[in-house]
Amino acid sequence: MTDGDYDYLIKLLALGDSGVGKTTFLYRYTDNKFNPKFITTVGIDFREKRVVYSTNSPNGTTGKAFKVHLQLWDTAGQERFRSLTTAFFRDAMGFLLMFDLTSQQSFLNVRNWMSQLQANAYCENPDIVLVGNKADLADQREVQEKQAKELADKYGIPYFETSAATGAQVDKAVVTLLDLVMKRMEQCVEKPTADAQNTDAASKLTAAPAAEKKCAC
Amino acid sequence: MVQSMETINVSFLTDSERDLILNVLRRDEELRHLEEKRVKRLKFELLEIRRKGAKRSSGNYSTRSCGRCQQPMGRLGSRTNQCPVCKHEVCQNCHAVRPNRAWVCSVCAKEADLKKSTGDWFYDQRVNRFSTAPGRDIVRTSLRKRPPTKKRETTGQVLLNSTELNSSQSLPVPRPRLKDLASSSENLQRSDTDSAERTSLSSSRADTDSLRNLTDCLSVSQSSLVHHINPCSEDFSDVDGIFKKSVRRVHKLSDFKPTSVTDLRKDAEEETTGSMGDRSKSVPGLNVDEDEEDEDIDNLVIMHRQSVGNSAASLRSSRSTLGSMMSVYSEAGDYDIVDVSGEIVFSLHYDETAQSLAVMVKECRGLAYADAAKKKCNPYVKSYLLPDKSRQSKKKTATKSKTINPTYNETLKYSISRSQLMTRTLQLSVWHYDRFGRNAFLGEVQLPLDCHDIDSAHEECVILRGKAAGSLAPSAFAQYKGELVISLKYVSEKKAPSEKQKAKKAKAESGGELHVLIKEAKNLSAMKAGGTSDSFVKGYLLPSKGKSTKKKTQVVKKTLNPHYDHTFIYKDLSLDQLRGVCLELTVWDREAMSSNDFLGGVRLSSGAAHLKEGKQEWVADSTGEEVSVWEKMMQFPDSWAEGTLPLRSSMGKKGK
Ligand SMILES: Nc1nc2c(ncn2[C@@H]2O[C@H](COP(=O)(O)OP(=O)(O)OP(=O)(O)O)[C@@H](O)[C@H]2O)c(=O)[nH]1
Ligand SMILES: [Mg+2]
Ligand SMILES: [Zn+2]
Ligand SMILES: [Zn+2]
Repeated sequence: MTDGDYDYLIKLLALGDSGVGKTTFLYRYTDNKFNPKFITTVGIDFREKRVVYSTNSPNGTTGKAFKVHLQLWDTAGQERFRSLTTAFFRDAMGFLLMFDLTSQQSFLNVRNWMSQLQANAYCENPDIVLVGNKADLADQREVQEKQAKELADKYGIPYFETSAATGAQVDKAVVTLLDLVMKRMEQCVEKPTADAQNTDAASKLTAAPAAEKKCAC
Repeated sequence: MVQSMETINVSFLTDSERDLILNVLRRDEELRHLEEKRVKRLKFELLEIRRKGAKRSSGNYSTRSCGRCQQPMGRLGSRTNQCPVCKHEVCQNCHAVRPNRAWVCSVCAKEADLKKSTGDWFYDQRVNRFSTAPGRDIVRTSLRKRPPTKKRETTGQVLLNSTELNSSQSLPVPRPRLKDLASSSENLQRSDTDSAERTSLSSSRADTDSLRNLTDCLSVSQSSLVHHINPCSEDFSDVDGIFKKSVRRVHKLSDFKPTSVTDLRKDAEEETTGSMGDRSKSVPGLNVDEDEEDEDIDNLVIMHRQSVGNSAASLRSSRSTLGSMMSVYSEAGDYDIVDVSGEIVFSLHYDETAQSLAVMVKECRGLAYADAAKKKCNPYVKSYLLPDKSRQSKKKTATKSKTINPTYNETLKYSISRSQLMTRTLQLSVWHYDRFGRNAFLGEVQLPLDCHDIDSAHEECVILRGKAAGSLAPSAFAQYKGELVISLKYVSEKKAPSEKQKAKKAKAESGGELHVLIKEAKNLSAMKAGGTSDSFVKGYLLPSKGKSTKKKTQVVKKTLNPHYDHTFIYKDLSLDQLRGVCLELTVWDREAMSSNDFLGGVRLSSGAAHLKEGKQEWVADSTGEEVSVWEKMMQFPDSWAEGTLPLRSSMGKKGK
């Protein structure tokens, strides 16, 4: 069992078609192992990992380090679990939207997953990282990097090509998502709590934070 | 409303699939409990900090002292010394620089940190998306008691608590309002308080109007239901609520029954409620003056106000309140103070298969006499699994007569899962039973079960202690009762809408209004089975204790973290008047058949207000945040002053 000695509990969730490698990807991330067998996920599952997150202060030096407990939800890609899995979307703070680089169909379905997310997540524009998995299977590739990159840009989200088999870019993808979530948290909390009525007070503030990025929390 | 709930259908799962998912959800539950404990600990730390700081009275504002540490400040306090969040003037030592290089005061900094570390930043945002009521239709809004937006509740939790994924079940899970996505950018810009206010304003209108209005609403809502293909179940439960009110009345007529009947009536109640809940019946009791049904609450409030000794005596005669009130007062220190001595011998054993904790109370040795002169001591042992102080949690041994070395060999059993148990503290207290006088507290032990061996059943001998938080000077805050989140706004009298002068403050307005937005409560004590409470908040603007100042929110059921989002409005008040009054907000657990249980309260005023209540005169003893929110409200008319206030465990008043 885990102990409660951590600073933040961050909940991320992986989604995408069945067989794209969500379970395998998360297993690589948490245990640094590869499982070549395909055991389709029943409904939902999760894995955990404790990481240290350090912020970069403006002058470039590393700032404070925090212990982050990650709860990584793994969802079933199969259609028949859909109502169950989408119900879990609302509990996650960030999302790994995955497709299989060797399956054009799984890539085409990304936009469907995207709209499922927008409809069911805690807010309309949650933090998402697009992940093209199985990059090691170069000879079977059906989705070109350029295509995927364009789509990611359209949504304004980062894109990574990963391999759960070799481990390439796996950590990078998760850490990027974690960073986005932590930044959003910072932004939500640190913006002064001047409400609409408090306009005189608000206008007095000199150090107004940079223009709000996305969320209106 | 219809579109905001969707059901998770789990009936298609095979048995083995269900088991797999259940296992996942149980693992999730473990993590959740761990997280809950961590969050509680963090919040408690903040409460401590808050209690120490903050201004005590209005006078201190002009004498330039730091609003946090109370140290005097230099003459040239420029406006940069005002914390942008709480508006207190604070000294350099109490500045805290945030990651975005802005600064706030030390308490606000801690609060911001807490928002992050508890995950509240996320839950607060999610609540907006999943529970915003489209406030256009006032009738529907006012009738609908929104389902408790259990802010931190997760889908995993809902599923797990749903009687373990019963095969035929569909589970409601909140969904965002998809239809409103188009207008949602506008939605999101509105502040939280704002939208909450709109919905609650409309509901308070229905509240203050007579029940005749409710009858109207009822018929309107029923006819409007007809137009829906999927009538939503909440609307029905509200209708039931109205029926229940009338049931309550009927039973009140029989309140004179002897004590021994009480338990039986519980069953009778369920039966009656069931049949009365039948929607085919007419609507009896709707013309009844609403005030009658909570007269008992008022009595309780009054009793709470009376000096501790008095009320204990008067309670003797009040059958149904006895249990809950006694525990309230014993928390507040209402017991004969005895020099605690002796020890208690017991053993704990957790039975995995039965999922139960057995507390074997063997004996006590060397107890103090309740009355040393008369050598009186009839001791019994009482146990609670704190923080639950409800009846389910309370167990007692038999009472032994005339001994300070009682032997019990009695086992007190609790049915509870191990993971739940890890969040509890076993409290064993020893009491002297007095048939005629009052019971006396003889000592207690508290064992946090997360760091206690509950498997070996070995005998333990622990020295008895006095009440945990200083028994001689019991503080109303000694016991953690949770928090109440409110916003206050003084709405100054509106002149012609065109002229907006800034120097409004100088004038003494008499036509202003005090708006009290009761947002939510957090970590309330559990009073009902399943560790929940059905709570509501009641408000009085003292000293005038007439019905005119009495307000209450709707009851929010089955949660310890209720969202009320309800606004009380007090009219015709000048700023000057506000300086001499005290707003008392009390939280109650709604008990259908007996008196409501007191869950805690706050007392808002500028700290040193002298109040006259009839012949009695007393000084409002508001402290810390209770004062600072009030002051902030007066300092900044027409803007909201928000505060998270620790709940007092008693409302006893200090005479003058
Ligand atoms: N070569 C290669 N195989 C992979 C990679 N990632 C996953 N796989 C394989 O792809 C298959 C499916 O992987 P899973 O992780 O079970 O797929 P999933 O997305 O969890 O599928 P569902 O649970 O049904 O939604 C397995 O046989 C994996 O070993 C990868 O990066 N490279
Ligand atoms: Mg899987
Ligand atoms: Zn200071
Ligand atoms: Zn502050």
